[in-house]
Amino acid sequence: MAGIKQSPWILHYDASSCNGCDIETLACLTPVFDVERLGVINTGNPKHADIFLVTGAVNEQSRDVIRNLYRQMPEPKVVIAIGACAATGGVFRECYNISGGVDSVIPVDVFVPGCAARPEAIIDGVVQALAVLEQRQLDTATAGGSVDQVLYLRAQKSNAPQILALQKAAYQSEAGIYGDEGFPALQQTLEELEDEFDRRPNREASCLGTQETRKDPEKTPNHVVFIKAVVNGRIIGAVRGYAVDDTAYLSRVIVHPYFQGMGIGRRLTEEIETAFPGVKRFEIFTGHRNERNLRQFRKLGYQEFKTEPFTPAIRWIYLQKERK
Amino acid sequence: MHVVMTLVLALILVPIAAGLVLGVIRLDALRKVVVGVVTLAVFCGTLALAAWPAPVDSGVVPFNHYWLNLGMLLVEIGMGLYVIVVGVRSRRPLIVALMLAQGGLMLWFELTQGPRLEAAHDLFVDNFSLIMALINGVVGGGICLYALGYMREYHEVAHRDVPDRRPFFFALLFVFMGAMFGLVFANNLMWLFLFWEITTLCSFLLIGYTQTPEARRNALRALVMNLAGGLAFALAIVWFHEKADSIELQTLIASKQSLALVPAALLCFAGITKSAQLPFSSWLLGAMVAPTPVSALLHSSTMVKAGVYLVLRMAPAVTGTTVGLMVALVGGVTFVIGSMAAITTSEAKRVLAWSTVANLGLIVLCGGIGTGEAVWAGMLLIVFHAVAKCLLFLCVGVVEHKLHSRDIEAMSGLVVNLPRVAVMMLVGMAGMFLAPFGMLISKWAVLKAVVDASPLLSVFIVFGSSATLFFWVKWMGKLLEVVEPQRRVKGDLALGESIALYGLSAATFLACLFFPLISSRFIEPYVLSVYGQTASLGQGNLLIMTIMMIFVLLFPLSFVWYGRGVKVVDAYLGGANVRSGVGFTGSASQVQEVNLHNYYFRGLLDEAGLSRCGIIGCSIVLAVMAAAAFV
Amino acid sequence: MISLPFRLLIYLIAGPVVGGLLAGWDRRISARMQSRRGPPIFQPFYDVRKLWQKQSIVVRRSQNFYILFFLLLVIFTGALFFAGSDLLLVIFALTLAAIFFVLGAYKASSPYSFIGAERELIQMMAYEPMILLTAIGMYMVTKSFYVHDIASHATLLVLALPGVFLGFLYTLEIKFRKSPFDLSSSHHAHQELVRGITTEFSGRALALVEIAHWYENVFLLGWVYLFFASSPLLGVAVSLLVFVLVILTDNVFARLKWQTALRSAWVVAAVLGFGNILVLSLLR
Repeated sequence: MAGIKQSPWILHYDASSCNGCDIETLACLTPVFDVERLGVINTGNPKHADIFLVTGAVNEQSRDVIRNLYRQMPEPKVVIAIGACAATGGVFRECYNISGGVDSVIPVDVFVPGCAARPEAIIDGVVQALAVLEQRQLDTATAGGSVDQVLYLRAQKSNAPQILALQKAAYQSEAGIYGDEGFPALQQTLEELEDEFDRRPNREASCLGTQETRKDPEKTPNHVVFIKAVVNGRIIGAVRGYAVDDTAYLSRVIVHPYFQGMGIGRRLTEEIETAFPGVKRFEIFTGHRNERNLRQFRKLGYQEFKTEPFTPAIRWIYLQKERK
Repeated sequence: MHVVMTLVLALILVPIAAGLVLGVIRLDALRKVVVGVVTLAVFCGTLALAAWPAPVDSGVVPFNHYWLNLGMLLVEIGMGLYVIVVGVRSRRPLIVALMLAQGGLMLWFELTQGPRLEAAHDLFVDNFSLIMALINGVVGGGICLYALGYMREYHEVAHRDVPDRRPFFFALLFVFMGAMFGLVFANNLMWLFLFWEITTLCSFLLIGYTQTPEARRNALRALVMNLAGGLAFALAIVWFHEKADSIELQTLIASKQSLALVPAALLCFAGITKSAQLPFSSWLLGAMVAPTPVSALLHSSTMVKAGVYLVLRMAPAVTGTTVGLMVALVGGVTFVIGSMAAITTSEAKRVLAWSTVANLGLIVLCGGIGTGEAVWAGMLLIVFHAVAKCLLFLCVGVVEHKLHSRDIEAMSGLVVNLPRVAVMMLVGMAGMFLAPFGMLISKWAVLKAVVDASPLLSVFIVFGSSATLFFWVKWMGKLLEVVEPQRRVKGDLALGESIALYGLSAATFLACLFFPLISSRFIEPYVLSVYGQTASLGQGNLLIMTIMMIFVLLFPLSFVWYGRGVKVVDAYLGGANVRSGVGFTGSASQVQEVNLHNYYFRGLLDEAGLSRCGIIGCSIVLAVMAAAAFV
Repeated sequence: MISLPFRLLIYLIAGPVVGGLLAGWDRRISARMQSRRGPPIFQPFYDVRKLWQKQSIVVRRSQNFYILFFLLLVIFTGALFFAGSDLLLVIFALTLAAIFFVLGAYKASSPYSFIGAERELIQMMAYEPMILLTAIGMYMVTKSFYVHDIASHATLLVLALPGVFLGFLYTLEIKFRKSPFDLSSSHHAHQELVRGITTEFSGRALALVEIAHWYENVFLLGWVYLFFASSPLLGVAVSLLVFVLVILTDNVFARLKWQTALRSAWVVAAVLGFGNILVLSLLR
């Protein structure tokens, strides 16, 4: 999109910041740094803004405000989380009233670290956000003007960073249920995730000695399939799966907290099921306390058949479904 | 021409007769029939008269003068006695004194002058009286139809406590209508005076219709002020007859200024009281307690127009004199103060009342200046104001019944609650001040006339019109704003109400679209006949006005693309939205409602203070006028 | 003399370009006054281009229609003015346009747009007496309300209308929506009213508002030029100087309370405007 890089208008919100990052942000408007050179205007109005700058960690009061402000911003928009608190909760992460960083509420595109983040870093973050914005607009344009629609597409390895960030954001709440952050999903690194894109599960299975019963190569892909849910150019949901013999193993149905409750998880599951037309059985697992997931899967026709303990706090429940 | 005079007589007598008949009809269905038939007849009669080729005529009433005069005298005496009784019973010595003075003067006058009080032409028809008759017949007729449905709801639903005196009500409405016709067609000043006093009495009786103490008080106040005007009227007649041996209006207007100045000044005074200019505005504001048809008919469209009609008639006699300047000052001051006072109140009928007072002030300003251009502008103002203001009053009446409130703040979101009525109100309001509608054209004409004649008076128009802008637009905004998705109110209109409202809305548009026709057919010939030259808007300007009208008309069509491809989100409430635009989380997590309340300038303007300034100022001006006239 | 259709075409196309450049210079000069560097001169065009491509978000579905008509009528007003027609009609057309803007903000039904709308109305109430008096003053000198007559008047109008000119400059500050009279909304970082009248407009509607303001500014500077019409170079120079003066005042003053703004504007209109007219009518 021509022009958005030259006219970035900002909405600056302080979630629960000590104002350190806010002072640094506003310092960008002063003569020393003068971001108006770049066309930046600090509007106080979400409807006029392209960039949502959030400082501070998220607490009970700011959670709803952030959601409301985000909803009132027109596309295309980006979110920048400024400072350590906005990224992860910072030093206040374990506090009773803090639910985490900004990405526990809305999808964040750029994290500017620091405590307090320096103006140079903030400006750098804004510049990077502009690149994201431009790319996002191009993606939306090529997808045929589908504003606010959820698109379900195959993910590529280049999407790995976003999917990882999404994964961490989505599993925050899950970890919260168990009080344990030992989830493998939260511990996964970028390299590990990128490796998953390259895995060949069927060959592994055959190396392990299982009989290679691949009848139809097209119908049973021999690599991990990632499906992403995209809204206005940003990835807000993902799921992955691979098939060995007649079974497809699905995992990590993740949807960003902001977009939960809209049936996206369900659609993702259905989409990945169609990616494996040749298999006869689908298997998926989730934590034993995640009632919502269990309910979802049951509605989709899955039934529990196995339970495996993982840590003292977490047990995996395995569900399966026969293809009709 | 015979036909013309017959029509004129019919227009005067038929409504009066109908009124007397309606005074005894108790059955609602029969009443509806009579009202409908008579209204239709009056409507057709007025249109026929207006459309008649060369209707300008003067005629002698073909009755036996002696019996006619005796009859009129008896009516006058009867009215006078009634008023005196009213004054005595309500312990208002001023009323008694004024009536005695006025009645005594006229009685003495008639008895001493007797046979010499002959007019060559008792009635006459010219373009100005045709316009007034059209307004009376069309707008007044519409109001009578409206009143049928309105009064039924008034008594059966909204105001059960008010005694149902509908026969009396409708009788008065029609007697008034007939008297108005008589007023505008009268050339004989005595007859004019009689009809004038009949309208005063009708107004008194109608304001006091609900018979509450407040209504009685306001009715008496109206009576006092109008009687003062009546006294001046009587003095004018006597004086003119003494000096010029004539009781004819046309003769008065055509006389030399030195002769006509004093009676013209007195008649202007009468007109000023009748049209509620400062310092006599309080009676009109108080008259808003009456039911809406009364407010629409008497106190915005027709009766108060009689006052400005008289002032405009006197225009040639006062133009260029100090008297004229003083009259213009009264009008100008009233315009500014009325407009500013309308900003301060949130009661719908009060706003309309102040606006009426202000616009009448503008017409009085035109009359005081008295040039051809000014009179042309003034007549335009009369036409457009009558239509638009009547529409507004009728709409407010309907809204009052549906919402049970007269407060403008209660009309928030009316465009969703009562869409058709709201749109008609918007049309009416646009018609009052917005380009390219009629009142704007008239105001433009006034400005031009004033600048040519005496530019210093333009200061009133300039400040007044910016004030009018404010209170109309904030009312329009209040109708349009939709804070909470509303449910539609049961907005059924009675048949009469529908006819009146739709008809008047159409009339607002048509009067504006056809104003060049109105101007050339009625107004310009009149101005030409009186001043020997005429005024008009340039051709190029007409084209531009048409283009603007097209813009305005295209606006509703844009709703065809209603909300295509847009995403609806909440209003910005600092991110603290709770429900859609209605609530937000305030301090201590309490949910607050969104409340949009118009500005009323409470700290800046004070209605009572403005009134007081106006009363004092205009009293001084009137004193100067009297001095200028008599000295 | 340039023919009418050609003149209108120039106005239609060059008007927003000139207006946008003026807006760009405005931001740049303001920035320099604040020891900053400021955005590029073409920034307003970048802004409008970006706004045009944003998603359309509304609070009430019909609110953006009012903005469209606001723009159309502002263009119409300017067209009337540069075509040389009746000055009073031009003022009334501008009022009509502004009213559409205000009604659109009322329609948006949000507290901030509501406050902005009321304050915009107060602004209109504040400047209307003076601009009407300006038109009347020009009539008294040139005996015509028509812009082409006024523009072709032989003498320098400002010599006969100094008071009116000064009063007009005062109200020009209001019409340009600059401090101390940026009551209804502000381009700067004043956020007490959030964005005031334009709070609930986004995307294309906001772009249209910007463009309308450009057309309006061009028209207003054209009116300043009228005071000096008999010597065109001086007229253009003064118009630009006035523009710079407006920017300077904007940067020097804080926003006035609306009561003060209204009172002072009316006092100025009464004293300077009416006073000038009084003198003129006495000298006649």
